[in-house]
Amino acid sequence: MGGVLAASPPPPAAGSSASPGLTVPPGFGMPSVSTVVPPAESPLPNPGAFDECHRRCKEVFPLQMEGVRVVVNKGLSNHFQVNHSVLLSTTGDSSYRFGATFVGSKQTGPAEFFPVMVGDMDNSGSLNAQIIHQVTSRVRSKLAFQTQQQKFVNWQGDAEFRGEDFTATVTLGNPDVLAGSGIVVAHYLQSVTPALALGGELVYHRRPGEEGSVTSLVGRYTGSNYVATVTLGSAGAHASYYHKANDQLQVGVEFEASARMQDTSVSFGYQLDVPKANLVFKGSVDSNWVVGATLEKKLLPLPLSLLLCSFLNHQKNKVQCGFGITVG
Amino acid sequence: MGSVLALSSSPGHHKWPFSTEPPPSRWDVHPAHWDSPPRWERRDGRLPNPGSFHSLHRSCKDVFPHQIEGVKMIVNKTLSSFFKVSHTLHLSAVSPSYYRFHVEHLQSDDYSKDKDAPALIGEMDSSGSLNAHALLHLSERVRARTVFQTQQSQFVTWQFETEYRGSDFTAAVTVANPDILRESVILVAHFLQSVSSGLVLGGELVYHRGRAEEGGILTLAGQYSRPNWVVTLNAGKGGAHVSYYHRANKQIQVGVEFEASTRTQETTTSFGYQMELPEANMVFRGMINSRCIIGGVLEKRLTPLPATLIMGAFVNHRGDKLQVGLGVNVG
Repeated sequence: MGGVLAASPPPPAAGSSASPGLTVPPGFGMPSVSTVVPPAESPLPNPGAFDECHRRCKEVFPLQMEGVRVVVNKGLSNHFQVNHSVLLSTTGDSSYRFGATFVGSKQTGPAEFFPVMVGDMDNSGSLNAQIIHQVTSRVRSKLAFQTQQQKFVNWQGDAEFRGEDFTATVTLGNPDVLAGSGIVVAHYLQSVTPALALGGELVYHRRPGEEGSVTSLVGRYTGSNYVATVTLGSAGAHASYYHKANDQLQVGVEFEASARMQDTSVSFGYQLDVPKANLVFKGSVDSNWVVGATLEKKLLPLPLSLLLCSFLNHQKNKVQCGFGITVG
Repeated sequence: MGSVLALSSSPGHHKWPFSTEPPPSRWDVHPAHWDSPPRWERRDGRLPNPGSFHSLHRSCKDVFPHQIEGVKMIVNKTLSSFFKVSHTLHLSAVSPSYYRFHVEHLQSDDYSKDKDAPALIGEMDSSGSLNAHALLHLSERVRARTVFQTQQSQFVTWQFETEYRGSDFTAAVTVANPDILRESVILVAHFLQSVSSGLVLGGELVYHRGRAEEGGILTLAGQYSRPNWVVTLNAGKGGAHVSYYHRANKQIQVGVEFEASTRTQETTTSFGYQMELPEANMVFRGMINSRCIIGGVLEKRLTPLPATLIMGAFVNHRGDKLQVGLGVNVG
């Protein structure tokens, strides 16, 4: 995801309910981008959403969690799903979160139904809400709201147009008519060859008294079992490489440089799937001397999934470990 | 395994004023209580030996989970039937991380399961702290134990204990931290007598002397055992400690403990239980406290591998603090 900005739309997690925040129903997942090899005469494929460019590599890395988390998912019908999550935290505050997901009946793809409404509420009153709808066959729009207790922190809307071989998105973030401030983000991604996609991002932000813009260019090359993505802009650079070694092992390498914070970091991550043992292991090593690992195992006769996570920061000599149970 | 007393000048972790034991250095300690023949089943009609004073409350204490925190990895290696070595690596968020090397040399391989087997045990920390125990059987009835503990380079505990096990009584004398230069010493005398097949009575006399003060504390102890439960009471001027242990069935054991201390003027009640599921190779221990502490530790043997996974969490609701621990024992 290029352009390191707080107001760019929060990407929905791909169907996993172990991450905090919004959960997305199955079906709203990744477009199949990396393994498409179309025949010579057919037109160029649609390159997918702009935010998904670095997603493949990022999914290989383990997510840091600490404390004890219990998540209970309950599907009430084909359209409605509810989840309760209790987090007992070692460092911050413990919280209880209630989330609900509604999926409509307008079907646009094999497993995609619209509109999708996802919301969750914290025990302190913080709300996260997203509404995604396919307005016409090519235009999809999304509204997202986020509050911190009773104060609105994030409110944005976007519209995405998927052409034959390009995708264009316009996002309007935190527009405030009274204060005269807001952020407008425009994305464009074009398939140049069946494997290569190029695009750009333009961010314009305005506050009373100052305004500015940031641009960045994106290139993504998809091979038979790998994806390489580069984002270059005035705010920094971000390069990621994803490689699928075999059915069980996937590897990702990521390089990030930020002009604002004047530092760079390199991360190496891998994911090991052992379907016979119902096990997924993710590990990562960082140039900030952070080593982390996550183990997720389905305890099969029961509809339970156990997650063990441990992160070690050698530079600051800190250890964080956590475990979680997901029911349903 | 030694007794470090609250009134000594050494820093320590004590919850009650009389004999207390530092927590066992390994997590896989098993209660030996149910492995040896119970004392009410002696065939010859004589009263059995009551054991040592330190193990009076042990069956109840073994039910409670040990507080774990951070990530711990223990590798146990048995080099021969006499010699065992273990490496421990503990990465902790609240205390400094350490590597610890532990060595055990048994004098004879007859009693490998018994906790009081004659052995030389040494443990060295990555910061230089040493913990050394020597337990010797001088004769069939007389045992001697020596304990040395250092905190980096400074000696914290040095104590010598002699125990005589008679036919139906046990008497022990301990000299703790004798210091000729500072003229301070702590002397402890224990006596336990089997009065009937289930009842054991005894007492402990602690005499401590420093340059400016000296004093003595007397504590009386009693323990009553039945096939399924054990109740133990220690009462004296320093406080009281009552524990009740109950074995409900082969899988569930329950313990209740009450401690009152006159020195810190507070009381604590704890309830703990242990659930064993041998088919799932799992042991779960849980506890809840009157200090609003709730904790649970799960141990699972991952059977094809010689490894045990340990997961535990302790929550202190009063301070709203949570501690999570993960551990792997190999070998």
